[in-house]
Amino acid sequence: MNSAIVRVIDVHKYFQRGSERVEVLKGLTLDVPQGEFLALMGPSGSGKTTLLNLIAGLDRPSEGEVWVGPECISALSETRLAAWRTRSVGFVFQFYHLIPVLSAYENVELPLLLLPLSAAQRRQQVLTALDLVGLSDRLSHRPGQLSGGQQQRVGIARAIVTDPTLIVADEPTGDLDSRSAQEILALLVELRESLNKTIIMVTHDPRAAARAHRTQHLDKGVLVDAPAMSHDFE
Amino acid sequence: MKFLKLIFKNVRRNLLRSALTAAGTMVLVFVVTLVLSILSFLDQATSEKAQNLKTIVTERWQIPSRMPFAYAQSLAEGAPRNPADVRVPPADSMTWQFYGGTLDPKNRTPENNLFAIAMEPEKLMTMMDDLDSLSADKAAVFGQVVEKLKANKQGLVLGKERLRLIQKKVGERIKIYSVNYRDIDLEFEIVGLFPDGRYDLSAAFNRQYLNDALDTYPASHGGKPHPMMKGTLNLVWLRVPDQDAFQKVRTQVEDSPLYSNPAVKCETAASGVSTFMEAYRDLIFGMRYLLSPAIIVVLCLVIANAISISVRERRTELAVLKVLGFSPGQLMFLVLGEALLLGGGTSALSALGTRFIINDLMGGLNFPIAFFSTFMVSTDAVVWGIAFSTGAAFLGSILPAWSARNVKVSEVFSKVA
Repeated sequence: MNSAIVRVIDVHKYFQRGSERVEVLKGLTLDVPQGEFLALMGPSGSGKTTLLNLIAGLDRPSEGEVWVGPECISALSETRLAAWRTRSVGFVFQFYHLIPVLSAYENVELPLLLLPLSAAQRRQQVLTALDLVGLSDRLSHRPGQLSGGQQQRVGIARAIVTDPTLIVADEPTGDLDSRSAQEILALLVELRESLNKTIIMVTHDPRAAARAHRTQHLDKGVLVDAPAMSHDFE
Repeated sequence: MKFLKLIFKNVRRNLLRSALTAAGTMVLVFVVTLVLSILSFLDQATSEKAQNLKTIVTERWQIPSRMPFAYAQSLAEGAPRNPADVRVPPADSMTWQFYGGTLDPKNRTPENNLFAIAMEPEKLMTMMDDLDSLSADKAAVFGQVVEKLKANKQGLVLGKERLRLIQKKVGERIKIYSVNYRDIDLEFEIVGLFPDGRYDLSAAFNRQYLNDALDTYPASHGGKPHPMMKGTLNLVWLRVPDQDAFQKVRTQVEDSPLYSNPAVKCETAASGVSTFMEAYRDLIFGMRYLLSPAIIVVLCLVIANAISISVRERRTELAVLKVLGFSPGQLMFLVLGEALLLGGGTSALSALGTRFIINDLMGGLNFPIAFFSTFMVSTDAVVWGIAFSTGAAFLGSILPAWSARNVKVSEVFSKVA
């Protein structure tokens, strides 16, 4: 087993709903080794996306710690967390969330604008990322001119363009037809293998989860065993 | 600079909304630039200069001022009483005699009324505001008009708007039936025009013509002088080099027994204009403290409305940018940048456009107030117009930008899902 790149330690997350305090994560602990492709499954409201947001530094735990590499991200200020996200995490959304007024090239370039890179360096990284996802010939296309699968490829290129240690994907195939979904999953697997990225993916689809090395099930804010669905990552 | 393209594309995202906001901004900036131009001009006219001042000598106790023409010569010399007096003479001087009348005594209308200043023609280019600082080419053209006025006692120079109102052309002759110099109806030949701008509604002629008419009046009226003879001089302008010289000249003039019947007062042109402008105090107050701020507030609201809608529509996008690593400050910067591009950019365009249209195409804005008839858009007004409007855009976008800054990623995506 590789050393853990992501460590979630006894994390609790509460939300206030009116006068009621809802505990979404209940003392959850999880280690994700470097280079693993982990699938998170569970029913709606089980806390999958909340856990993903905590790992990606988009939210803070009410209690407990989240470590990614050497950084305890749950202790970072909002500005430092933003800078950390740029360099360390790539996020793939279910609904792609590309900026409609920007071309595929410009969408992928967005995170690089936050880094101290020259225009030539940015261009090289964007072209490499779009080449990796097979969209070198769609540079100037706007999102509206691309299919769902192609948009998700642009989303993945945007997620990997800064060469992050971690890629988190929130139901990346949830809005795609089955053929496109399989292509996207194959692409994620390929990226993990060729670039040794750690991928954490939330999914409802058992076929998508089957492409991962390991599947963790959440139910009511805690990890539960599901032996039939999981296998160890070597 | 890296974000500039993003800001620009966001402004172009909804072209209709951006165009309408820009149009609204341009109209408001157009108005505010005009108002500021008028206020700036009046401020300039009523602010005391430190050097090269104009001093106005008028009758002390009566408005309108009526002094005997005999005052003119000694005033121009600094009011000496005997040759041994040590006097500070003015650097230059000019007399004003107001002559008013109509082209059609049977059917007087505002258009056929004409109010002209009788003066020494050569003083037009040495003592009159703006005419004493014409560019070389304009001075050459107007210099020829002045020469005609000197050569032709019956010459009359008019502003272009006045010429249009009386429906005459340069070279034509007109007869003015006087209303203030009864029985002295003068015939003029229009010899030229004032340069475009401030004097568009003005008229001036050689004082010799009026004074000769006053001198010959008794011959045809049983030896009686004209009733206006003792009060034909309305005011005298004296040019002095500085405030110190002004104080000395004022003391010389006001203390002199030469000017006791009627007594005179001596004040700077700025002070004189200020006194005259008192009648317009409420109008100017309204322009300065009600109209201008109201326009700025409306501009602020226009920008705030447009940017708020834009931010509300793009909450998901802003959340995505946050996910990608944009800090709250950077998101705020993006939104403020859009407002400044939209508000600042269009206001600059509008203010500069206003200057071009008013100054270069229209030759000035006709807005008669006191004895000022035409206003030009000043550089100050353009700069302040842009600054106020950009400031308003900034203020108007602070709340939407703050809202963008505080977008909660988890909340936005929980709603999306």
